Amino acid sequence: MIRLTRTQVKIAERILATIPLALGVAIVAFVFMRAMPGDPVDIMMGEGAWTSEEEMAALRDEMGLDEPIHAQLWAYLKRVLAGDLGYSMIRSRPVAEIIREALPATIELAVFSLLFALAVGIPVGVASALKPNSFVDRAGASLSLLGVSLPAFWLGIVGVLIFSMTLGWLPTSGRIAYDAQPAHITGMVILDAIITGNLPALGNALKHICLPAVTLGLGVAAVVARVTRSSMLDVISADYIQFARAKGVPEGEVTRRHALRNAMIPTVTLVGLQFGSLLGGNMIVETIFGWPGLGRVVVDSIFARDYPVVQASVMVYALTFVLINLATDIIYTVLDPKISL
Amino acid sequence: MGHVSVPSDELYKGAMATARPAESARALHRRGTMRRLMAHGGGRTGLIIVIAFATVAILAPLITPYAPDAVDLESWLTPPGLESNHLLGTDQLGRDILSRVIYGSRVSILVGLATICISSVVGVGLGMLAGYYGGVLDRLLARFTELLLAFPYLIFVIGIMAIMGPGFCNLVWALSFKGWVEFYRLARALTMAEKNREYVDAARALGRSNGAILLREILPNMANSILVLGTLRMGNMIVMESSLSFLGLGIPPRIPAWGSMIADGRRYMLGAWWVATLPGIALALLVLGMNLLGEGLRDVLDPKMMEG
Amino acid sequence: MKIRTTLIIIVIAILAVPGFVPAALGTSKGQLSVIIDTESIRADEAQAIAHNLRAIGVSADVRIWEWSALKERIQAGERQIYLTDWGSAYFDPFDIVVPKFLTGDRGNYTGYSNSRFDAALNQALLAVDADVRKDAYFDAQQILFDDAPAIFGYSLTEVEAARSDVLNWQPSMDSRVNLHDVGLARGDTIVVGLYADKVVTLDPAAYRDRPTETVIRNMFDALVTRTWDGRVVPEIAEGWRAVSDTEYLFKIRKGIKFHNGDSLDVDDVVYTFDRVLREAGMGGRTSPRQGLLGPVEKVEKVDAYTVRFVLSAPFPVLPQALVHFQIVPRKHLERVGDEAFAREPVGCGPFRYVEGRLDDRIVMERFDGYYGGSPMLPPVATAQVKRAIFRMMPDPTVRVAALKTGEVHVIQSVPAHLVSALRRDRNIQVKSVEGTRVYFAEMNCTRPPFDDPKVRRAMNYAVDWDTILRTIYAGNATRLSTAFLPSGFGFNPDLAPYKYDPARARALLTEAGYLTR
Repeated sequence: MIRLTRTQVKIAERILATIPLALGVAIVAFVFMRAMPGDPVDIMMGEGAWTSEEEMAALRDEMGLDEPIHAQLWAYLKRVLAGDLGYSMIRSRPVAEIIREALPATIELAVFSLLFALAVGIPVGVASALKPNSFVDRAGASLSLLGVSLPAFWLGIVGVLIFSMTLGWLPTSGRIAYDAQPAHITGMVILDAIITGNLPALGNALKHICLPAVTLGLGVAAVVARVTRSSMLDVISADYIQFARAKGVPEGEVTRRHALRNAMIPTVTLVGLQFGSLLGGNMIVETIFGWPGLGRVVVDSIFARDYPVVQASVMVYALTFVLINLATDIIYTVLDPKISL
Repeated sequence: MGHVSVPSDELYKGAMATARPAESARALHRRGTMRRLMAHGGGRTGLIIVIAFATVAILAPLITPYAPDAVDLESWLTPPGLESNHLLGTDQLGRDILSRVIYGSRVSILVGLATICISSVVGVGLGMLAGYYGGVLDRLLARFTELLLAFPYLIFVIGIMAIMGPGFCNLVWALSFKGWVEFYRLARALTMAEKNREYVDAARALGRSNGAILLREILPNMANSILVLGTLRMGNMIVMESSLSFLGLGIPPRIPAWGSMIADGRRYMLGAWWVATLPGIALALLVLGMNLLGEGLRDVLDPKMMEG
Repeated sequence: MKIRTTLIIIVIAILAVPGFVPAALGTSKGQLSVIIDTESIRADEAQAIAHNLRAIGVSADVRIWEWSALKERIQAGERQIYLTDWGSAYFDPFDIVVPKFLTGDRGNYTGYSNSRFDAALNQALLAVDADVRKDAYFDAQQILFDDAPAIFGYSLTEVEAARSDVLNWQPSMDSRVNLHDVGLARGDTIVVGLYADKVVTLDPAAYRDRPTETVIRNMFDALVTRTWDGRVVPEIAEGWRAVSDTEYLFKIRKGIKFHNGDSLDVDDVVYTFDRVLREAGMGGRTSPRQGLLGPVEKVEKVDAYTVRFVLSAPFPVLPQALVHFQIVPRKHLERVGDEAFAREPVGCGPFRYVEGRLDDRIVMERFDGYYGGSPMLPPVATAQVKRAIFRMMPDPTVRVAALKTGEVHVIQSVPAHLVSALRRDRNIQVKSVEGTRVYFAEMNCTRPPFDDPKVRRAMNYAVDWDTILRTIYAGNATRLSTAFLPSGFGFNPDLAPYKYDPARARALLTEAGYLTR
């Protein structure tokens, strides 16, 4: 028999605990969608003339919408547990297929926003911590607060007007040009381009992701900068850093080797938390940039009352959120063995 | 959604420390917070910005050149400038943007205040109960909040707005619906830390009821932390309102609110940039002020920083 | 001063200011008070209307809703005035005035009911003789105008724009983007920015929305099609003939090939309609397009190139309706199944499907075996461009930006305030066609105050549409007297719209017993 360590048991427990949570989320989403006024069949039929009540009733019957709510819920849960997410009411395709198609785009965007946030946030945070109350610090703080307080849709459109229309550097929207597509492997075009060594595709995809990623990542960059700054400040005043300084270790090395490494621990935790919110918070950015991701699917489906799609997407979001939190907790214990799960 | 809030962990770090000085230190560090805040660069700037906005909001009828809802289609989308009668230009209905931005400060501040008040009252109330009594209630609330956090916020708010219909109050409720979770978590953590302290034991020994202990002993001890969290969150709520307007679910349009002004003006960005940008700047400034004030308060009320 | 006290004082000061908290509107007794409901897209217009109503002493405010949520409350009769719109695809009041204002019909949100009006409409619907139909529609129009169940509005001109190197491009009234006839001065791939978040499917039997139809109709052809200005002309059919009120014969063109090489014959036509008409005919699901065929009972083969439509009642708009039913290949579809067909559609249109994602873009290539399309729509040949891409671009600003940078060649729905700027751009051509969608503000006729026609007429006199259309819609709109469209059958051009006349509106309101300040 395999003996598991205490940590492994804890991790297994946490993973198992996501199942009831996912079911809970599914139930809430189910009830929530039914509580919303509006009827998917009615919305799908639009304005067509000569649409009889019988015809609509027949469609409702086909979709199982005329059953009592609890029976629908029960049937839904049974299907979900069997791994069947159902069939979209509007898009006439299996929900699993819709999600499989849209999720990679959303993950790709979230990852790049995060990379951008780290690339900007950490240097700004470190610089402000090294010279607190200096000009760099003040400017960094102000800029990062602006980053948090400007609505993404405003930033996005300003970006398009400046970088696409005026300067002509970046495309306005979309994910990759048709004639530059790499072979389909993972569905994440940038990753696919790297795997296949397709440099033109990579360049094209990177150009496309720039604006949406920056728009989405700016707020996170601000938070990263603030957290890095405050944890840097804590670490710098710590005894072992003072000790290293006293020993005559050059200042640059102190910063790099000792301070930064330790200051990164809270930033890593933060990254995990923010990744979840990036995944779930990209609906508006996706709409502006015509980015074919899950966020747009969800918003569109909620307005179309496409129940199965919304329910399944909400579950995917919730599971991702929980699993990423778990992953950061694990990384945290690796970085700092004093902490247990 | 696209805007991100400071993770609660970072707040707790400061907030937990704030609540610690329970007895004598409390009196000491409260005295002169104002003076110390004024000495704190960011805090002072923040306070000045917030007071300036509050003053403008209060004086709105006296300082606006036009009524905020005075439609004048003939002069729609007038660019800002001195030659027309509209210093900051007009919007797509010919309404004076300066007047709308000034009146908008009232609504935006109110949205922020109201959502934070509701969120904090609900969150702190439940958090204190959960933290103090623990048990089934605590576990139930833990599951419930976990569920709420895992549920994508925007979907949640769209749904709530569709169920309740549009309107100022409904919007505030929709925004508060999830906002309370953070206050709940903070209050619960603080209550759990406070409930075993000597002064609570003493009060218990004197025969005070649980209710009295919660309200008279524990609550005053965590007021500062809640205040800090509230200040920091208010900006988020104002920005959130704009996202809802973007999706077409905002405040009734006659009431000028920055969020919906930005969302409406976004359609005119090409050709009439000022419609969305000017309220955007106002919003950014106020959020900046609120955040600076919040961070200043956290630094000032945090004894660790005070000693250092 | 303590900091906490300072903050609390600020909060109290703010809340104590009178009028700070947005309260309900004050209404004096006897004054008419209304709330105008709208979706966010027409919020500006709604506020302008409210402004007009306030000018005649009505206390008016606006609420912005999500459409499905609003619709449910409208249908429950809970609302007062609501901005709505309704599109027509058949160029006949059949699919616009009938559903909107016939007693109890599906789109009748006003609760309007007038037996004289209903009788006139029914007469127009069932008669086959064009003159009888026209007279009946004229009567109906006058009754509707007098009863004024809505504040009658306008139809928007469809403004589309293209790069100037796009040749022979013409937007069409049914908002179809027809890429068959279009050429490019440079390059061989044309990119279209669609005003859509997604297309629903690529199966011609499984959708009900316009963007999907726009994409599908470049890959599939129908028995008949329309010229850009709305005339029905033969496409796959060579011609047709009404044998009686309830029986039509269509002759099929010879030598048409599907993209997979199969020849198109009568069996494909019969199968296409059977798939729509039959319960669960679409691989176990029923086609949502069933109702669009009206009283069509069955479609049957007469001989190898003739097909018969049998109707249970007269249906004069049948040819208009058939424009919207694209022919699918029977053998192929039966072999691969409905789901696979929707994923990799095979039609007989000018372009064949290459690849795509429904919420991203659809890529298609010229079909070299194309029969040339309708002989009435030159050039009768294969498509001019080698490749066509439809991109979903829901944001209007981004759509215009993409056109200006040359990322896309053609865009739909140019925002009104940008039309004149685009017209000045030498790299861009802007064209517009009359719209087929009616916009109005409906009133709840079942409850006071709008159960009184006087009040409803007052509302019609109170709104200054000319100014609204000139500014908010930059003049790209046509004022309408009722819900009848100029492009539709039976439109009475002599019936003038309500004039802007606030004095008359006040008088009517006073007559109805309301104070006008």
